[in-house]
Amino acid sequence: MDTSNTPPATATPPVEDQRVWKAGRLEPMPIRKLPDAPPSVHILGPTVFLVALGVGMGESYMWPRLVLLFGPEIRWLFLIGVTLQAVVMLEMARYAMATGESIFSGAARVFKPLMWFFFIVAIAVYIWPGHLSAGAAAFEEITGIPWVVTAVIGLILVGVVFSLAKVIYNVLENVLSLLIGTLVLGTAVVAAMVGSWGDVATTITGMFSIGYLPPEAMSAAWFPVIVGACAFAGPSGMQQMWYTLHLRDSGAGMGAHIPKVRGLRHAGEEEAMPSRGFMFDTEDPAEMAKWKGWRRWVTFDALLLFWGITMLVTISFTVIAQSAVRIDPGVREVIRGDDREVALTAMANAVSSAGSSVLGTIFLGFIALIGLNATLGLFDSFSRGQADMTYNFVPGAKKLRMSHLYAGFLWGVIIFGILILLFGPAEGPSGILDTLAFLSTFAMGAYCVTLLLVNNRMLPKPIRPKWWTNVIIGFGAVFYLGMLFYSLFAYGVVVG
Amino acid sequence: MEGRHSIELALPGASIGAVAGAMAGGLTLFAGAPTGVAAVSALALAAPLALFGGLYGVLLGHGVLRPGTFGPAGLYWMAAFPLSRLLQESVAGVGGMADGLLPFVAYQAMVALGFAIGFVWMHERLMPYWLLRRAGANPRAKALLGSYVRYAEALRARKGARR
Repeated sequence: MDTSNTPPATATPPVEDQRVWKAGRLEPMPIRKLPDAPPSVHILGPTVFLVALGVGMGESYMWPRLVLLFGPEIRWLFLIGVTLQAVVMLEMARYAMATGESIFSGAARVFKPLMWFFFIVAIAVYIWPGHLSAGAAAFEEITGIPWVVTAVIGLILVGVVFSLAKVIYNVLENVLSLLIGTLVLGTAVVAAMVGSWGDVATTITGMFSIGYLPPEAMSAAWFPVIVGACAFAGPSGMQQMWYTLHLRDSGAGMGAHIPKVRGLRHAGEEEAMPSRGFMFDTEDPAEMAKWKGWRRWVTFDALLLFWGITMLVTISFTVIAQSAVRIDPGVREVIRGDDREVALTAMANAVSSAGSSVLGTIFLGFIALIGLNATLGLFDSFSRGQADMTYNFVPGAKKLRMSHLYAGFLWGVIIFGILILLFGPAEGPSGILDTLAFLSTFAMGAYCVTLLLVNNRMLPKPIRPKWWTNVIIGFGAVFYLGMLFYSLFAYGVVVG
Repeated sequence: MEGRHSIELALPGASIGAVAGAMAGGLTLFAGAPTGVAAVSALALAAPLALFGGLYGVLLGHGVLRPGTFGPAGLYWMAAFPLSRLLQESVAGVGGMADGLLPFVAYQAMVALGFAIGFVWMHERLMPYWLLRRAGANPRAKALLGSYVRYAEALRARKGARR
């Protein structure tokens, strides 16, 4: 039985409707029925991907580190970052659920080069297997198995699983769900045992110390680190854009009219992928009522699952980091250094030295788990995004199935990753590291601008965003791009 | 027989609660407690969490709670989780109540919401598979499975309507 999808909706008979919605210069979208919204606020949904991708180094390392260095007041920036991402998530979902198209297609409808920009940025930023290193290094600490071995085996395993899966979305959602469930339960118990009302009180009041920036933070050494941490509060880089693909594949909103991507072994069973999305009749009150139901459903996901889990994990890791410094004040100095693996090991050692290696192992286990989640999610999402853009916009690509393109990108990035792990610099050539960090944050400002254009120009008026949502997304563009360029021009450094 | 049918529904929730509680053992060791005390501490949390986790499954089976919804589950754990932690502190105190009872309970109730997210998340993954195994011999499991199947069938119908 498959209960792993977006909560099901009541069936609607196919309607042959000749009307179309013209959006941009690309093929118009036929008008079709919007499926009924899920009957209840159901906890299973594609947000699992965003949580898996989003709960990463920002939450487990960067923000605990900043709190130790600058005090809990610095967390107001985290609150802004995560809240902004929750609104971005709702707006990404608006276009994806209304059309069944990815945000990349939306960008192409506005201006095709905009989409190609994201295509190139994705390749430049995400083909380097550096993101594997933190999780695999934590695994090495626990087991002694060299991290490169774990990373290579992990890569091959990811490729095999996604190639054999009948419907990739279901497999990935099930695996990620179990991993995240374990992580959330574990961090809740950790927080319950080691934290106190006092810790939470300082964390919460810290989140409202809006405008607090100690003089030390406004320096060439630390401001870029803060910019990087803001970009990594919640999903970073292009992860929000990929979320639209998962929404579509889970059948949310008009995504129900689009076939699912299958594993390579089952590619032959895939239905033909339409070259454009669909639109529903926004003049029909019954359809609009269903639309409101879908918006309620995704809002619940954004607020409770995404915002709640991200907050919970970060607060828990901050509490652990604070305990580590209480046990061994030397950890604070190590954390000041910018070697992530050394800092994580020092934190694990500090908590281990308090009595037993068990907590140190639990801590490293969580880091390994977060690394595994991120890797599974990143490889799938990258391949999905590139396959989507290639299929829809590279001439002749439609001769292949979407599943073949997906497999091509997946194995391409895996083989490249293995070669780099064995012979090259995992994070990417050192000469372009700054450029990659710049592109990753720049993409976030760019997708805020893209969202404003797509949602306000490509959607029918009744379902366009409210003015205040536009203001928030506009603020997002200024926030990411402003901090990025301020760091670049004031300090000559990109992102830390 | 009726009792056994209900208890069977409790198994997934009880397992999740027990595993989550067992993590506490490692954390007590972290506080420097001897292994024996750590084991008691783990048991003192695992037992009530397993009990409340199991009860959650039974309440689902009796239609008191609905599968997959968060609100009622959140409220349920806001009561059950602080109670479990109180029990653990009273049996094997690890210094959690140093600030007093009220701040302790308030803090635990807040963490309980996070725990509830993880619990419902895991429960929704495991319960349908367990029900599939037990539906043949357990009418309560069959009835509850029915509600999950209705979701799945509605989904299939929607796919069928797709073009």
